[in-house]
Amino acid sequence: MASYKLPNYLRVHRKRLGLSLNEVAFLLGWHGPSQPSRYEHFSRIPALHTALALTVILQASVSELFSGEYQNVKDAVCRQAQRLEALLTKKNPDPPTLRKLALLKIIRSVDGNRS
Amino acid sequence: MKSSKPNPKRVLAIDPTSRGFGFVVIESPTTLVDWGVKTMRQTSQEKLLAKALQLIRHYRPETLVLEDQKGSRRRPRIRGLLGGVCRLATAEGLKSSCVPVARVKQVFGTFRANTKQEIAHVVAQQLPELAPHLPPYRKAWMSEDYYMAVFDAAALALTYYNSRLLRSGGMRRAAPESIVEGPKPLGVA
Repeated sequence: MASYKLPNYLRVHRKRLGLSLNEVAFLLGWHGPSQPSRYEHFSRIPALHTALALTVILQASVSELFSGEYQNVKDAVCRQAQRLEALLTKKNPDPPTLRKLALLKIIRSVDGNRS
Repeated sequence: MKSSKPNPKRVLAIDPTSRGFGFVVIESPTTLVDWGVKTMRQTSQEKLLAKALQLIRHYRPETLVLEDQKGSRRRPRIRGLLGGVCRLATAEGLKSSCVPVARVKQVFGTFRANTKQEIAHVVAQQLPELAPHLPPYRKAWMSEDYYMAVFDAAALALTYYNSRLLRSGGMRRAAPESIVEGPKPLGVA
């Protein structure tokens, strides 16, 4: 299911803090504002190191900053969890498998509870 | 990575000015996503419409909120721009909602905000991100602040949400604090 959320909310968090693109680029150790601008226009996804730096700069968690992307990833993981659950239930469930099934149920319930 | 589907809650409100337009993108009455003013030195309707189209395609809102042209005292150029943006929204598959200025005054009147300045104050209390941009009190010899268009657009968007909530029966008509779901603005009895 495609997310209704925007891929990221970097712009709103940056503007709330009153930071310019140039200042964010400086804090990231870059020379120009073009790359942060690309992130804000959804044309590039930042690397893990940059995403973590952005969480420090913008004082928000990764799932808040990248809500849409986070939702898409969560949906994909839940679909895979459903598949794995189907595979595991075919076999005779021993105690470790039962623990795994319980975990998969939790993962799927997180998907079901989302707003 | 573009947001392909329109968000059922996201609203884009546009308020044209003499040199461009102010806009806000809101996902709920207390969640501001983006805001700003788009201006041009030589105002050309096509270029302004291109900027509005850029915003629509970037944010994929469900509804575009504009000022109602009926009973409006706006200049013909601004009315033309409003009509153009409305047609643009239809072409992009968006719902467009025209909010009369009288309705904005009615809704914000419950907060004892009757002038644009007072309405801007109520908007800033509802959406604290806008508070740093709150225009100073306007004296008779001063021209309107550059950022007032953003507050006007936000007032349109909040009025739209208020009307939608009233239509859906989620709120009682009389409660003044029910303009939006957020905190009760300060200085209101």
